Amino acid sequence: MNVLVTGATTPLGRAIVDRLLAAREVGHVLAVGAEHWGPGLPSDGARFHYEQVDLTRPRSVHDLLYGPARSCGIDTVLHGVLHRAVGDRGQRVHAINVDATRLLVHACAHQPGIRRFVLRSGSEVYALRADEPNLLDEDHPLAFDAGAPQWLRDRVEADLVTCAQIGTSGLGTSGLAIAVLRCAEILAPGTGSQLWDYLGSRICLRPLGFDPMINVLSVDDALDAVALALGSDARGVFNIPGFDTLPLSSLIALAGRRDVPVPGPLLAPLYRLRTRTVGFEFRYDLNAPRFHIGGILDGARARGALGYQPRHPIASRLAA
Amino acid sequence: MSTMPIHRAEARLRGFHDEGHGFDVFGLHLPTLRRTLALGGRLCDRYFRTRSYGVENVPGEGPAILVANHGGALPIDAALVLLDVDRATGRIVRPIADRFIPALPLISTWFARSGAVVGTHANVAHLLSRGELIAIWPEGSAGIAKPVRERYQVRTWQVGHAELAIRHRAPIIPVAILGSEEAWPVLGRIERFHRFGAPFLPVPALPFPLPFRHQIHYGAPIALHDGLDPAAADDPCVVAHAATRVRLALATLLRDARDARAGRLA
Repeated sequence: MNVLVTGATTPLGRAIVDRLLAAREVGHVLAVGAEHWGPGLPSDGARFHYEQVDLTRPRSVHDLLYGPARSCGIDTVLHGVLHRAVGDRGQRVHAINVDATRLLVHACAHQPGIRRFVLRSGSEVYALRADEPNLLDEDHPLAFDAGAPQWLRDRVEADLVTCAQIGTSGLGTSGLAIAVLRCAEILAPGTGSQLWDYLGSRICLRPLGFDPMINVLSVDDALDAVALALGSDARGVFNIPGFDTLPLSSLIALAGRRDVPVPGPLLAPLYRLRTRTVGFEFRYDLNAPRFHIGGILDGARARGALGYQPRHPIASRLAA
Repeated sequence: MSTMPIHRAEARLRGFHDEGHGFDVFGLHLPTLRRTLALGGRLCDRYFRTRSYGVENVPGEGPAILVANHGGALPIDAALVLLDVDRATGRIVRPIADRFIPALPLISTWFARSGAVVGTHANVAHLLSRGELIAIWPEGSAGIAKPVRERYQVRTWQVGHAELAIRHRAPIIPVAILGSEEAWPVLGRIERFHRFGAPFLPVPALPFPLPFRHQIHYGAPIALHDGLDPAAADDPCVVAHAATRVRLALATLLRDARDARAGRLA
């Protein structure tokens, strides 16, 4: 298996590259990023090669797949490029989040050497409502909300663009086996985790009267899920839950933070003020549904089709 | 009919699926449930002087569905069933709550910690697939806050319980609860009140329930799945017929229990 990894210059991308290079079944890893080079990435060698590519340009994507990817014998693609900063918006951000995904998955479907495409999506694409199940399976409604921040709308669109290609490939127009991994929130720095930023504060404000169940994913489990998906031919959407399922108040306590319940309507303005004065990434309006209702990913499909089972608790690391 | 007064045995809660931090996936927390049961136990014994009949019909293990009638201004009857089954069998009952409950501050968290689960098909199917005992009130919110003239009449009847019972091969135990209609009669409803997604606001005749004696009658288990494939749960006619069977069984149990109570009062 020779793997092309996008978003390789992010902390998670680097961890994925390291994991792939450590695996015997992986021959060559072609890492792709928008930057000239990523700190922490290995140097170019017999099994690793880095390419700076602007994935929002069709010509660049075409040249990547029919140039370096073909010469490296790439047969598997892992796409994980999503803008992490929640405050960034505009056409350029949309192009990185959505257009790049569309271009890459379409191009992969037409490049005969590529047989596997995996998108790393997230649980934030699911709509959380009081009248919906607490356990979110892959058929759960998605968060279509025109008023939602671009950060969320782009994620839903990128997920759907790939899901649409699953259907097209299923009609026999392409042999590409596509999997979308909807991962629970990875609680680690540099992953764009809203919860990580939230827990970065010494005092964590929480809606008074609500203490929803939260599920968080460790980097190790995320890497396991990615490795299993890359090595499998299973097509479709797969939820990737983490090991830890606990109430929000327990998560705050585990992180050693002070839990202060505040009436819900005050939280959005308080956190907006905090973002303006301290520069926090956490946005309450984006997280309000899960801070009231909660929702846990049902990982039954990933367990059955990919053999994925979360094994790495995050609690001890969080406490440390 | 066998008679079994509620005894004061220590709760032996069985059927808890800890996700690693002392909570199950729906938010059930055993210490909170124990505190709730301990508090409710005093009310149950001293205030409502609850007696139960036929609780041995509740299976000791495996998936099962308690189907009960609703009554009174607020669902106190649900709490009494939960307490009664816990004391008699040690099983945790998962009451199925209406869909607006998660939007209620404090109550949503307390209900979840005490084992209540929002009544969506997927949630209930998950509980049954792992062999839990659930309690459903197929009348829904319409069953609460009935006018006095309609007391103990089974009103709107949802059929989801019958479908799930067939699909998961779970027996249904009809449960007739007497006392809640008299303890907290209702004058009417404010139908235009929809705060937090509530369907209406009940207007009770009194600010608190009267200490009226409650009775809980458990009927014989009904195996709706007998002679049927799980796939039969997809047939609307089969499901509707099965649900009617349960409704009739509950109505009969209610009528017999009321007749027996009237005889004793006389």
